[in-house]
Amino acid sequence: MRNLTSPLFAAGLAFFLLVVVAEFEPGAAPMVVGQAILQEAPETTGTANIVTAVVLGYRGIDTLGEIAILFTASLVAGLVLERRGGKRQAQAPAGNVLRISTQLLFPLMLVIGFYIILHGHLTPGGGFQGGVILAAAFFLPLLARPGIQVRHFGLAVTEGLAGSAFIVIGLIALFQGGAFLQPLFGTGSPGQLLSAGSLPILYLVLGLKVGAELAGLLAHLVYEGSET
Amino acid sequence: MNLIALVVALPLLGAFLLPVGARSVGWVGRLLGPALLLLTSLVVIVLWRDSGGVPSHIELGGFQPPLGITFYLDQLALVFALATSLLALLLWPHAAWRDARVAALMLLMVSAASGMALSGDLFNLYVFYELVSVASFGLVAAPKTGAALAATLRYVIISGMGTVMALTGIALIYTQTGTLNLAHLTLLSATTLDNTLGLTAFVLILLGIGVKAELFPVNIWVPEVYATASQRVSALLAGLISKLAIIVIIRLLVLLFPQPEALTLLLVIGALGVLLGELAAWHAKDFERMLAFSSIGQLGLVLMAFSIPGQAGLFAGLAVAMHHLIVKPALFVLAERWSGGFAGLAGAGWKSPWAAGLFILFALSLIGVPPLPGFWAKLMTLLGLLGQDNWIYWTGAGIILLATVFEANYLFRFGLGLFKAGSESRSAKVPVHDAGSLGPSLILGAVLLIATVMITPVGNWLAGVADQLADRELYVTTVLGAGRELP
Amino acid sequence: MSMVFDLQWILYTGAIGLIAIGLVGIIWSRHLFRIILSLAIAEAGANLMLVIAGYRLHGHAPIMVAGVWPEQMVDPVPQAMVLTAIVIGVGIQALALSLAIRVKEAYHSLDIDEIRAAMQADIDAQAGVTGDLSQEEPSGREVIGPTVAAEEGRS
Repeated sequence: MRNLTSPLFAAGLAFFLLVVVAEFEPGAAPMVVGQAILQEAPETTGTANIVTAVVLGYRGIDTLGEIAILFTASLVAGLVLERRGGKRQAQAPAGNVLRISTQLLFPLMLVIGFYIILHGHLTPGGGFQGGVILAAAFFLPLLARPGIQVRHFGLAVTEGLAGSAFIVIGLIALFQGGAFLQPLFGTGSPGQLLSAGSLPILYLVLGLKVGAELAGLLAHLVYEGSET
Repeated sequence: MNLIALVVALPLLGAFLLPVGARSVGWVGRLLGPALLLLTSLVVIVLWRDSGGVPSHIELGGFQPPLGITFYLDQLALVFALATSLLALLLWPHAAWRDARVAALMLLMVSAASGMALSGDLFNLYVFYELVSVASFGLVAAPKTGAALAATLRYVIISGMGTVMALTGIALIYTQTGTLNLAHLTLLSATTLDNTLGLTAFVLILLGIGVKAELFPVNIWVPEVYATASQRVSALLAGLISKLAIIVIIRLLVLLFPQPEALTLLLVIGALGVLLGELAAWHAKDFERMLAFSSIGQLGLVLMAFSIPGQAGLFAGLAVAMHHLIVKPALFVLAERWSGGFAGLAGAGWKSPWAAGLFILFALSLIGVPPLPGFWAKLMTLLGLLGQDNWIYWTGAGIILLATVFEANYLFRFGLGLFKAGSESRSAKVPVHDAGSLGPSLILGAVLLIATVMITPVGNWLAGVADQLADRELYVTTVLGAGRELP
Repeated sequence: MSMVFDLQWILYTGAIGLIAIGLVGIIWSRHLFRIILSLAIAEAGANLMLVIAGYRLHGHAPIMVAGVWPEQMVDPVPQAMVLTAIVIGVGIQALALSLAIRVKEAYHSLDIDEIRAAMQADIDAQAGVTGDLSQEEPSGREVIGPTVAAEEGRS
């Protein structure tokens, strides 16, 4: 890899980065589409958090692609790391402090995770951020009791059904004569918990999916990685 | 027209459900993938017939461009969406019948590949490109031998590097324009991207997406991955995915980067690919790696054809690309039974005459022997290059001729080796081709022969596709409408 | 070109610097884990660049609250894009790590050059040919079989 092409490549790269640095006009980038979205998003989607309007509305198909990538990565990690009849190395159980504090933390993290997901259209946060917290919550027991069996099937069902729900909501809009992934159920009044139509539902399934996928990914890595 | 979203949505839905469902439903799960591919092909065909060849667009989520994401449906996008579904169906891997996860990966790749063909948004293109990448990582790693995993890992790292470069290029474009919609960018490109920074952004995107298109400096993953992955997966990557990556690059080039330097760059990168690819293929000693290197050379040729300015270049480029789209998968399918070194394959042609005949047909078309379609594609490229009043283009034409000599030499050497006299005993261990293993190659061979007979209508149709691809105003007015006020 | 050292310019230079550090790390490292970390650094740089593209000095978060007007907010589009890009990056890194675990098991090495050599040998052995592009000439060529070498030399 480093014999012939890489010095050439590095030289070219250095040149281009120099060009970029040299050519950059100081100052902020023009805000063309962003400004237009800021103006009309509260009205058309009913979200107070406009990033959510972009993530789930204006660029909803990007988000669908993104959860598909995470799903694929988790699928491939499972495929690569899976071992038939693999033996797990027995690990010493964690101390009392870690075990009890994880039990205390678990419900709290669930609550915070769901709070962040469900308020994604109002405040900073949303499905991805909350989903990561959910994944962390489910990962705590793994830390405390290293020998614990992960129910991969449960995770697979969650991520499969949550991902399908996202697409099905999009397809309902399509077959009602709208466009794929068009927001449903009106906008409500921005700023209320029950507003923004179908976007909070989308964020909920997104949060569940991200949570299940990250938990599955981590579980694969922890169990298979600990053997070598 | 909104129904075209099904082409992306349905395979994705199937992929999400398969790993869960296949444990309990058995044969339903096994048939779900091919059934969905049939359905998406039908959707594309029906919509194509309804469109009458006139480009249109859809607004995903119902948001008007340039604010929301659009799909642009011209003939090129539709033909590649159709080719994606049909080729995936034809080359459905054997492992996908046994393992629901491999089937899910195939569906994910098909969904994203169709999305790449259709998308009219710079960042959305990147997302679909990444999904194609990640799904292909899984497919090439699926044999799970040490070599396959190591090859996949190197492929992941090079792709990751490409990801970073493409993302940087997109960020650069966004800092200059503040928009991502391709039609909107086309309008703004004359004032914002026609400079060194725009060219840099193009180079970054070219190198980023070029990883999949097997372009010169970022193609070192190709031989090892094609040698270790299952042949049908190699066929899909070399035949379909590389072409999609090139089509995306060319669409961006036509719409956003009209600089002549960009074309020269394509020519140089393409020429290096042709030269190095064909030389390495000439040195190769086993069938798969010969095909892999030859694929690098052919994609270089596609790039060189596209580097000819104007509609003529797009026409020639599309012709070379479509030709390779048919020929290379067929050759890789032949390698399923004829895997390995040339020495072990000596005399194998006596036992599988149909396979040997197909190989010779495809080889002749690759070399460019009239009246096969490969001849016309290569001729157009050569004439286009020689028609330019520029020594660089003439050098390019010379390189193509030189590479063709090598190409002819190694393909004939392999073809003659198949019929080497007195070597039947050595090839006793080589599996014999049967109807099942020849099926995809036979179908693709038939397509090639039909194209040979109907070369005039096929050529006219391709010229029409190139016209649409070259028409920037058509793209802008189709997506944004005429005279609408833009932000 | 005016070299005004305002905040925006410094941020862009920093992002490009991260990308450069990461890419050079990928190209020059031998250790697999370092390569994957370099990839993470380069991705962070690219993500940073996207976020900066939408940033305004003294801008507000794009959330509707009393007293903030849309004109005062930062661009929401790059924030959504970077969310996507980060998740993609996480997926690819996890994938690379899980592959690295298995490659380490197969070849007992994390050195990319050693892995590559072992992989090439594996591929060649599987295809039944001697190394076709390796630098060193296999010393035992005659032992492998004079017929093979002679036939290929002739054609």
